[in-house]
Amino acid sequence: MYNVIEEVIDYLRKVPPFQFLDEETLKTITKDVSMEFYPKGTTIVYQGGPLGEHIRVIKKGGAKVSLGFSEADEVIIDYRGDGDLIGYLALFDSGASRANVVAVEDTICYLLKLDIIAELIKTNPAVREFFHKSFLSKFLDKAYKEIHRKSLPYSVGGNIFFTTPIEELATKKVITASPDISIQEAANIMSQRKISALILSNSNNTPVGIVTDRDLRDKVVAKGRSLSDPIKDIMSPPIIRADAKEYGFEALLKMIKHNVHHLLVIKDGSLKGILTNHDLMLFQGTSPVALVKDIENQQSIEGLVPLSKRVDNIVGLLLKEGVRSGDIGRVISEINDRLIRKILEIAEQKFGDSPVSYCWIVFGSEGRKEQTFKTDQDNAIIYEDPVSDADNETIKEYFAEFTVFVREALLRCGFPPCPADYMASNPRWCQPLKAWKRNFSNWILVPTSEAILNSIIFLDFRPVYGDFNLSELLRDYVIYLLREQKVFLGHVANMAIKNMPPLGFLKTFVVEKSGEHKDQLDLKTKGIAPIVDIARLFALEKRIRETSTLERIEALRDKHQIIKEHGDELEHAFEFIMLLRIQNQFEQIKERRQPNNFINPDRLSNLERRTIKEAFQVVSNVQDLIIERYKAMIW
Amino acid sequence: MVTTRMRLRKRELQLYDSEYSITNQQYVVIDTELTGLDETKDSIISIGAVKMDGRRIELGKAFHKLIKPQCNMKSESILIHGITPAEVEKKPLIEGVIREFLNFCGMDIIIGHFVSIDMSFINKEVRRILGSVMRNPVLDTSLIYGYLKKKYAQRDIFISYPGDVELYELAKRFGIPVNGAHDALIDAFITAQLFQRFIPLLIGAGIRRIGDLLSFGSPFSTEARYRLSGEIVNF
Repeated sequence: MYNVIEEVIDYLRKVPPFQFLDEETLKTITKDVSMEFYPKGTTIVYQGGPLGEHIRVIKKGGAKVSLGFSEADEVIIDYRGDGDLIGYLALFDSGASRANVVAVEDTICYLLKLDIIAELIKTNPAVREFFHKSFLSKFLDKAYKEIHRKSLPYSVGGNIFFTTPIEELATKKVITASPDISIQEAANIMSQRKISALILSNSNNTPVGIVTDRDLRDKVVAKGRSLSDPIKDIMSPPIIRADAKEYGFEALLKMIKHNVHHLLVIKDGSLKGILTNHDLMLFQGTSPVALVKDIENQQSIEGLVPLSKRVDNIVGLLLKEGVRSGDIGRVISEINDRLIRKILEIAEQKFGDSPVSYCWIVFGSEGRKEQTFKTDQDNAIIYEDPVSDADNETIKEYFAEFTVFVREALLRCGFPPCPADYMASNPRWCQPLKAWKRNFSNWILVPTSEAILNSIIFLDFRPVYGDFNLSELLRDYVIYLLREQKVFLGHVANMAIKNMPPLGFLKTFVVEKSGEHKDQLDLKTKGIAPIVDIARLFALEKRIRETSTLERIEALRDKHQIIKEHGDELEHAFEFIMLLRIQNQFEQIKERRQPNNFINPDRLSNLERRTIKEAFQVVSNVQDLIIERYKAMIW
Repeated sequence: MVTTRMRLRKRELQLYDSEYSITNQQYVVIDTELTGLDETKDSIISIGAVKMDGRRIELGKAFHKLIKPQCNMKSESILIHGITPAEVEKKPLIEGVIREFLNFCGMDIIIGHFVSIDMSFINKEVRRILGSVMRNPVLDTSLIYGYLKKKYAQRDIFISYPGDVELYELAKRFGIPVNGAHDALIDAFITAQLFQRFIPLLIGAGIRRIGDLLSFGSPFSTEARYRLSGEIVNF
């Protein structure tokens, strides 16, 4: 017999945190469930009013959460939709409601008794986790998909991508085998024929599965599976098909939608070929691998200039492919590193070998491998300690011309000079190892405000070319210096909490109050910089060598208590804000504007807004923990 | 300080107070499934009901009972309700169910869609079994709809067409899901949701007091409509 509560249970089964509950618990919490209807415009909860005895789960509809007692001073702080909760703060904070909640459309809510949920938090770790942690990860995947969908209309390859049928792009030579052969036999075929994917077909020649290099790695080697097992145990069915007449962008859409890297190209009902995402990239001339090869083959700066322009297209392509922002940064850094190395090689040919061994280092976003589109040059030279002052003069003369040449070459390749002159062409930043050691000890031991600024800039240094050992020796020394440097860390902690992310934004989140970027959100200083600063502070505390934010978080996972607890959240927040920035800059470039870090909140979707708010909340929470730790030194 | 007892006392007074707000009433929304519409031959085969506390539907307080019918079931009602005679055979007799139902309803205001049919079948049984009838105030959502239609004639949602007052038609209009099989409880639940949608519209039309709502929303005569203060309903 039908029971009206079953409908509630069915709904809650899809909604976190209730989805973590077993049948029995769901029955218990819905024993006294009730249901309310609020027409559009109804106030569900009043600011300053009682919180009531219920948590509301929105079954259908939407509500805005706002502060203020009249329309004039209303500040909207959040939107809630299907499956979202209203009034859960009451679980942790008895007393009056802190906000108004108003239905923005006709809204139906299920009401669950507060004391039952409170009990659940005590007994169920998953529910506790949900309420105590932010909701960030819940939105992250959805938000990612949305962004990638958004970047699809930009066709990097231009019209051809929309007019060329995939049969012209696909690899025509398809190798098939029986699904009954062993894993080893399949691998043998793949290695002999030099293919990355093998199609398994049954006796009617109908494809039933595919095995890729990745399957062999993930499902066989990593799992220690026996090589004599049949290949069908690890193949991936069903295979996604595309018609030979479909266009490139349709194929790409399919790949993204189904999260596959191979498509079977079918013509007149039979297998015609196989299309990989690599085929698509090559077709567009924007394969990162192809670009790196082209860079390696250049002999002159003139040859490098056109290649450097292709880097932006690669960002666009990676965005489309759904690559995470951290990985986009890594790919772009790798390409830029190659470009710099090539420029330095060309410079060495021009000026003759350097009189001393040296290391070209980069810092700032380049040092952290967080570059996407071209940013200011931040570079320096560490050279081996000279034997005599005379030697040093010769070296200085050599590098004077050499570094100016490199600076100009980088400029031609799209990297503008650093306005603050943090470049190797500035003699202050072209120094022997011992001078660099002296610099760092001055900065760390006598932390004036300029010293802190310099150390923050240079601490993210990373070697790109030359004698990496010099860079490693300097890193050793910095790590040695950082023992027991409470005062210095206190200064860095102050930096890390200086930029508070704007929490009360949403809908009309006005962040910049005046100037050119009025009403826009500065993603770099409000979102990215705080996380970079936090990761750097913790890296210095634990004296680890990593320089990129994501690598620092990874390395600190077992070492730092805050990262142990909040590492995932910080990583997600960072990836998400970075992705938004890359996406925004890519759009600006497409519109032939200078890319910047400002985002117009009106261009964000609801989901993106919510996700970025969650990301900001994470940053704010961690900043609070830092304030707690360093409270004696916070000013 | 307001004690629980005082609050309960107030609650009790409110029940009989036609001046009191429609959002502060205890309602019980009911529906029955019948073997047919002939009061002399047909009988009740199931009763469904769900409570409402003001505008809040209390899903946890639901009543649903299948009843062994006193006459042979007609094939067309089998088709409608999907209840086969074999299923019904095992069910309890009407006497016990009616007592449970009266206990469930207590003194709450009864709501139903075309509720006079349900009430006449129920009261026939109550009279037979207990020698009395239910004296709870009764509201009919079809009558409330008729009233609102006049008040909100300009709104699309109240445009007239043949059959517009049928429960499922109204539910569809007001965005209430009606998918799946229907039984007495589901229909009572749909009716409850319909009444829930009506409450803000009634308030918007100036109907705030239960007495005003009963004046046009009840299918029965004025005398039967109000309970006399202090009357004890003893089943």
